[in-house]
Amino acid sequence: MTASEILKMMPLIIVLATPLITMLIIALHRNHLTTMIVSVIGLVLAIIAIPYSKALDLTKIGELLIIDNYALFYFLLIFTATIAIIIPSYPYLEMRFKGNREEYYLLILTATLGSSVLAASTHFVSFFLGLEILSVSLYALISYLRQTNEGIEAGLKYLILAAVSSAFLVFGMALIYSQTGKMEFNALMQFFSNSSKLNLISIVGLVLMIVGFGFKLAVVPFHTWSPDVYEGAPAPVSAFIASVSKGGILALLFRFFSQYDVLNSKPLFLIFALLAVFSMFGGNFLALLQTNVKRLLAYSSIAHFGYILVAFLAGNNAQNFKGVEAATFYIVSYFITIIGAFIVVGIFSTREREAMSVSDYRGLYWRHPWLSVAFSAMLFSLAGIPLTAGFIGKYYVLASGIDNQLWTLVIILIVNSALGVYYYLRIVVEMFSQPEEAAETKHPSPSVGVMTGLILAVLTIALIWLGVYPTGVIGAIKISVMGL
Amino acid sequence: MTGFYIALIFFVTGMFLVAVTLLFSRLLQTKKPSPDKYLTYECGELPQGGAWIRFNNRFYIIALIFIIFDVEIVFMFPWAVVYGKIGLLAFVEMFIFIVVLLVGLAYVWANGDLQWVKPRPKLEHLPKAKGK
Amino acid sequence: MYDFLWLVPTLPFLGFLILALFGKKLGKTLSAFVGVGSIGISALITILIGIRFLSSPPEGDAFVQTLWTWIAVDRFNVNIALHLDALSLVFTFVITFVGFWIHLYSVEYMADDESFSRFFAYMNLFVGAMLLLVLGDNLLLLYLGWEGVGLCSYLLIGFWYKDSANGYAARKAFIVTRVGDAAMAIGLFLLFYSFGTLNIQEILTQAPQTWSVGNNLAVIATLLLLGGAVGKSAQLPLQVWLPDAMAGPTPTSALIHAATMVTAGVYLIARMHGIYELAPVSMFVVAIVGAATLLIAGFAGLTQVDIKRVLAYSTISQIGYMFLALGVGAWSAAIFHFMIHAFFKALLFLGAGAIILAQHHEQNMFKMGGLAKALPVTFWTFLIGSGSLAALPLVTAGFYSKDAIIWFAWSAEGGNIYLWAAAVFGAFITGFYTFRMVFVTFFGQQKIDVSHFPKWTIHVPLIVLAFFALFGGFIELPGTMGHFTLFSDFLKSALPAMEEVAHENVSLEYFSQILTAVLALVSVYLAYVLYLKKPQIVTNFTDTGFGKGLQQFFLSGLGFDWLYERLFIRPYVWIARTNKRDFIDLFYVFLPWMSRQFHYAFSYTQSGKVRRYILGIALGAVVSITIVVIL
Repeated sequence: MTASEILKMMPLIIVLATPLITMLIIALHRNHLTTMIVSVIGLVLAIIAIPYSKALDLTKIGELLIIDNYALFYFLLIFTATIAIIIPSYPYLEMRFKGNREEYYLLILTATLGSSVLAASTHFVSFFLGLEILSVSLYALISYLRQTNEGIEAGLKYLILAAVSSAFLVFGMALIYSQTGKMEFNALMQFFSNSSKLNLISIVGLVLMIVGFGFKLAVVPFHTWSPDVYEGAPAPVSAFIASVSKGGILALLFRFFSQYDVLNSKPLFLIFALLAVFSMFGGNFLALLQTNVKRLLAYSSIAHFGYILVAFLAGNNAQNFKGVEAATFYIVSYFITIIGAFIVVGIFSTREREAMSVSDYRGLYWRHPWLSVAFSAMLFSLAGIPLTAGFIGKYYVLASGIDNQLWTLVIILIVNSALGVYYYLRIVVEMFSQPEEAAETKHPSPSVGVMTGLILAVLTIALIWLGVYPTGVIGAIKISVMGL
Repeated sequence: MTGFYIALIFFVTGMFLVAVTLLFSRLLQTKKPSPDKYLTYECGELPQGGAWIRFNNRFYIIALIFIIFDVEIVFMFPWAVVYGKIGLLAFVEMFIFIVVLLVGLAYVWANGDLQWVKPRPKLEHLPKAKGK
Repeated sequence: MYDFLWLVPTLPFLGFLILALFGKKLGKTLSAFVGVGSIGISALITILIGIRFLSSPPEGDAFVQTLWTWIAVDRFNVNIALHLDALSLVFTFVITFVGFWIHLYSVEYMADDESFSRFFAYMNLFVGAMLLLVLGDNLLLLYLGWEGVGLCSYLLIGFWYKDSANGYAARKAFIVTRVGDAAMAIGLFLLFYSFGTLNIQEILTQAPQTWSVGNNLAVIATLLLLGGAVGKSAQLPLQVWLPDAMAGPTPTSALIHAATMVTAGVYLIARMHGIYELAPVSMFVVAIVGAATLLIAGFAGLTQVDIKRVLAYSTISQIGYMFLALGVGAWSAAIFHFMIHAFFKALLFLGAGAIILAQHHEQNMFKMGGLAKALPVTFWTFLIGSGSLAALPLVTAGFYSKDAIIWFAWSAEGGNIYLWAAAVFGAFITGFYTFRMVFVTFFGQQKIDVSHFPKWTIHVPLIVLAFFALFGGFIELPGTMGHFTLFSDFLKSALPAMEEVAHENVSLEYFSQILTAVLALVSVYLAYVLYLKKPQIVTNFTDTGFGKGLQQFFLSGLGFDWLYERLFIRPYVWIARTNKRDFIDLFYVFLPWMSRQFHYAFSYTQSGKVRRYILGIALGAVVSITIVVIL
């Protein structure tokens, strides 16, 4: 390992060092605020290291990792998202949890590390390591509020199901390895592309891996865990699962298949297309009459990943990266909105419970105009209303689909967008309707901390900024995707 | 893929045969339940009490800590074997590895997990025990 | 200087944002500063840009400022870009300049209103949307501005929403213009489909190459665009919303009538002139619409008693003149009249507002009277505005602008003597009802005591606008009087000029001018006789059955509301009622029902039981493997 390789890996190393330092600090002096600040500083340092890392020419670090522009872009995304999740976690934990709050940040940081390793991995080993670092941290994070039954239930469910899916994944890897003798993505994909008639065992292995991917991305029919987990997990952790965890996996999925022409591989195309279709319909139909906001966001997340799969299918031939670009932009906008939405949910949580029912948001506008406007902006973006980031994202996904003549998928996507509008606007309507006089006292009316408010404001502005001026980010994505 | 159709037929036939056998057994069997039949089989011994007993979860933490340091040794053996070939880099890497583990040890220590009688944690979040 | 162009539409939007977000906390003084200041700076920048434009025009006589690319996919490329040429400069100038004085005036007019900052927020948004409309360099921005203007008009007309009548008027304006907007949207799609670009300039340059003169598509596209234009500009047959739009606060009316909204249609046709020239039929339709509208609105204006409604009908009629000019191809004459009209119409509305404010919000002018002494500044400026509207010869700006249109209605390529006659007759009616309003309001007995004496915030806008209503006309003099063509020369870079065709027959032009001038004076005298000297003539006439009927007919705006009620609304309501449970509806009931069933079906899978979940994963894996194996 050379010095420049270490420099190149600096963002990862900083993210790795941060939980260690945090751990020491906890051992020496246990303090919630200090822990939070140290974690944020660590992440900020990691972000600062990204441009320096970008300036270095080499990309491959050994056999396991590749730190190219694509990986760095996802690093930036993941670290920023984690900061946006960590800061509102502080008042949330202060309010909701009375035990040791400090370990929460340790776990979040290790999970972030796992997710960013995924974004940079080019090898089964680093892939599996990253995945497990992420998952194991999540098991604990999900049931962090251990005084609640839902938390315990959610954590246990995730543990069992994630273990099952990992089993599928590892078995898939094993099958592939048994046929090819390779674990490096590029070499594998060369093997798959070159062999005119695919070896059955290896392609079954590939399918089993897709099951593992599908579980982590929560696409139908591997989605069933997500509503239960989102509901039971603390709101910031739900945000983390929905954004950072899925983002890392998606980055890996793109990298894994970047050299492979899924569009022209009949069985794989069919599988992904079915996953996309089922996810879009399943997510949206499940969300339709849902009254629990966290579950609703879980279902909507399923649908959104269905949309992303459409772009994934469209953009996956080696000549044309439009789909990957679209999906990456979609991910960025989705990160912003889902984190913002869960922050709002977190703000409304009281000591006893989280504000999960749609009726908790009734008449919100009249009590907290700013908060409700921010939340509406998030929901509008999820629904894909113009002048929000969500619209541009969906537009690019559609365009990439049309570009590759995926008409069926495109039409289904449009139908589903219409379905989605219904349940997002239902919450908006609820927020702007007049509250009943008697119910006034029942509603939680929190005070928003300065930092949380700031994060929420930044997210909202970013949302509209991306909707009006997407060119900058799209340019950055174009550059980052180029080397894939 | 004609071969697989044959496999499919084979599979279906197999399932069918098993189902038929089970069905016949169900139809033909006589049912005479007795308490002895429902006992847990423990190599002929009579079971003492239920299987659902509580045991101290400190064992769990101890076991975890043990495993971590146990695994450390597993890593160190191969490292020691190839140390001569790799040299300084290997030393630095193992050093970092052990430092990470030491940080963990310090953390565990500071948390009082190394003591059997742990300093009482604050349990304000738990509902207060009623009565008694 | 050009590089600051983006600030012109941005500042009003910024003002809107600040007022909308922090309005309540700012208080009235600060709100006023933000609201007026944003437009003021915009106007200042526009004037500076205008000076630069005059002294050293940009290359190609147009400046394009591309701010960024919003969406770029294949052919569909949307730039957020501003296009400044002579035409949009004139519009931008009028919008910001006149808009600024209206805003300043509103500070006093709305001073006692509790929703002070909300008002300025809407007004800023209104101006911003209109600026986007005229400056946008592609159809999408134009459409965005167009819809924004529609939205703001809805918000402002229904500003005092606690009175349900105002809400009704707002809805009416919104829905009626929507009819036109739908046509326009289809027209824009057609243009995009035909030329594969949204960029207006590209469309205009490609059009003559793609379409020959009289091409069917060109005719259809232009007629569809005309649909949008008549909706926004309140022309026949969609003029019915404008008189009701008087429900909004008076500065709103001034803004709608003078600077924004109703002139959008004029802008649209002028901007798309390249396509209209390919469709002579559409041009002719535009001229006919203009001529018919100016007459109908003129008649309706004759009998109105509400001072603002008189002005509303006069606006419809004056826009009719502009359409007439556009229709006969006298582009620069139309734009010239637009500018002059903006000055005097804003002046008149602001004057009317001052009167209404002074008369305890009484709008019926027959209950007023004798205000000339009490409100001298208002009186004199109002008189100037009325003179300009009535096109009193030589001294007023309105004379020069209207005279140009009247003359072109005859002499231009698309003109003929009937259009000319309509225009001349319209001018006569205009003079009559305008001065009827002046005499009734300002002379005779004072009936209501003056409750509010305007301060400088009202007086300054009035005086400034009066100045322009008087002298604004001298930048363009007809061929018979020095042939001074500063304005049309200026516009020549953006709009084709008409001069050469028009000025062949000088004696005819003299005849036309003198006739118009004389008729204007006669109309004023007639108004003087009928409404000040011998009002019994009018009352005698209206006492007869025929006179009464005619008066009612004119008062209702020639019964268009009545007609539409029977022609569209009642049949529509009837169809809606009888069709409540029809087959088509069943389909729409079926859709949510089906979705709900799907929801329940899917919900069943969310049992919360881990073993079921694992089963789902396993099933998914099995199906996927099966697919691989079989395919």
